[in-house]
Amino acid sequence: MTNACGVGTGEVLRAMRAGASGLRPNDFAPAATLATWIGRVDAVDASPMPPEFAAYDCRNNRLAQLALEQDGFVTAVRGAARRHGAHRVGVFLGTTTSGILATELAYRAIATAQVDRDDSLSPQLYRCRHSLFATTEFVRTYLRLAGTAATVSTACSSSAKVFAAASRAIAAGDCDAAVVGGVDSLALSTLYGFHSLELLSRSPCRPCDANRDGISIGEAAGFALLDPGASSAVHLEGAGESSDAYHMSSPHPEGAGAARAMQSALCDAGLEAHGIDYINLHGTASRPNDAAEDRAILSVFGAGTPVSSSKGWTGHTLGAAGIMGALVAELALRQQWMPGTQNCESVDPALACAVVLASRPQRLRRVLCNAFGFGGTNCSLVLGLAP
Amino acid sequence: MTPLAIAGIGVCAPGMVDWTRAQTVLRAGVPTTFDPLPRLAPECLPPVERRRANATTRLAVSAAMQAVDGMIPEDVAQLRTVFSSSDGDGEVLASMLAALAQSPVVLSPTLFHNSVFNAPAGYWSIGAGAPAASITVSAGAASFVAGLREAHAQVLATGAPLLYVAFDAPFPVALASFARSAEPFACALRLQPVANGGNQGLGRIENLGSGRIDDERGESLPPHLRERFSANAAADALPLLLAIAQRRRARIPMPWLDGSRLWLDYVP
Repeated sequence: MTNACGVGTGEVLRAMRAGASGLRPNDFAPAATLATWIGRVDAVDASPMPPEFAAYDCRNNRLAQLALEQDGFVTAVRGAARRHGAHRVGVFLGTTTSGILATELAYRAIATAQVDRDDSLSPQLYRCRHSLFATTEFVRTYLRLAGTAATVSTACSSSAKVFAAASRAIAAGDCDAAVVGGVDSLALSTLYGFHSLELLSRSPCRPCDANRDGISIGEAAGFALLDPGASSAVHLEGAGESSDAYHMSSPHPEGAGAARAMQSALCDAGLEAHGIDYINLHGTASRPNDAAEDRAILSVFGAGTPVSSSKGWTGHTLGAAGIMGALVAELALRQQWMPGTQNCESVDPALACAVVLASRPQRLRRVLCNAFGFGGTNCSLVLGLAP
Repeated sequence: MTPLAIAGIGVCAPGMVDWTRAQTVLRAGVPTTFDPLPRLAPECLPPVERRRANATTRLAVSAAMQAVDGMIPEDVAQLRTVFSSSDGDGEVLASMLAALAQSPVVLSPTLFHNSVFNAPAGYWSIGAGAPAASITVSAGAASFVAGLREAHAQVLATGAPLLYVAFDAPFPVALASFARSAEPFACALRLQPVANGGNQGLGRIENLGSGRIDDERGESLPPHLRERFSANAAADALPLLLAIAQRRRARIPMPWLDGSRLWLDYVP
């Protein structure tokens, strides 16, 4: 796991335990005109790619590579490839914008007549850096895997849905194990896009706070290995998906679609609502989104289940938000610890759910995490300790 | 692979504005004129969404509508959807890149929300009033098969019918070097377990797997179709559509990852 709080799970956990947000005033030069806060991963700039991957060299793939090299992940995947065969290990990654920044900067350079052509606009570099499949292809090649693969791109639910897609692929016999994950890096289209919707906060985002005023965009990459044959302390117990069928960029005000995704995840895991000990919110800190999620949770779980959002530490990492939620849930289960809601000082009295403000030790058996996105796409996952 | 019955079908491409017209073109087997698509205005979208949706979304939704023709709306709403595309919507991308290159940057919120890869799926769910799960996948030149594999895995997991929509469209001139396709193409397949019956004579996909590829026995498209559509990843559906239109068994090599092929076996 790599995000604005740190490179690797150890650094991220230390920052979260210390209550240290990874957000900072926007210093992303190409979008410097925006007065907002961002969750930037500094190490990306100092992480060149090996020469054989020169065609893939862009911010998104660098971020992917940086995260792959943490937490013993490459070794774990090599083990799975040895057990099952490299052609039986699939790769399912979520992203919203892939390596679009390379094209954005090339376009800008041409428009401002700094150059009259740019190699980033060549078909090969588009395919390796910017196309939706670019990062999945890079990760699959980097890990020397030869199994089935797909990019899932459903806006901000992308890297939660990869868990559902990979589980189905394993059940269908398309692969025996799968690398799942999400990678999204800072880009002009997302920063200016959320600005155009007046959704960017001028301060570090404050999920669930009475005075929350919008989101902070972050970048992140995270991966997990789904291997039904391997022993692991934490298991994926269920996944649920739904569509709002309501609006392209606003959530259903009552959170009806989100509630169906959570119900469906519970059903998939064979659980009742009381089987969930903690919920990691999508919790972006947009006023309507947090309110809709609150109502959805209230309708499924009542007001008793503790909830918190991690976006105050990392920002909203878009196509990587699903995997960040899942990896925080995994951390919480392993550490028997419940993260609080960074930057939330006083909970919005209009919210009914039990928002956890300060992180604390907590016995946890099962955690649910949410990821919702544009197009009215919803996905909830249930992770649990192995019996 | 567990066989999938094809219960409904839709096509939208130049010269093949719907499945009825496509069958004529495919059965003719000789070169024909490929009339450009008219401006599509899928009726299922509410007027506001029809106005906001861009051409690629309207292309995909037009194919999807045909594949649910004759179903009652309550059943359509229950259909899970799988969408696939190699490159998504180049028109929106080019507009967004142009806006981001200006100083100061002025980006339209509608353009931004239309830029998500799952925009066609989002508009479809609104138009069909469909709260069912939806996923949009991409695997470059292998996108059609990646989506078909996901659709198969879902039918297997749920035992329920679903709607699979594949779409790709040419990029505008500014980005022409990016896109694989010179022509727009979308197709939709309503797929269900064979045990559900009611396949309306459209046949079934018996197998989608690896195996020795013997080009001698593989299906290939007539040159006039291949030349026009082979660069469009969604049009990898064409040999299957040809076999369906001609109501004959076919063993079709489908483009997959790393330049490899998977066999698709179709039985009428």
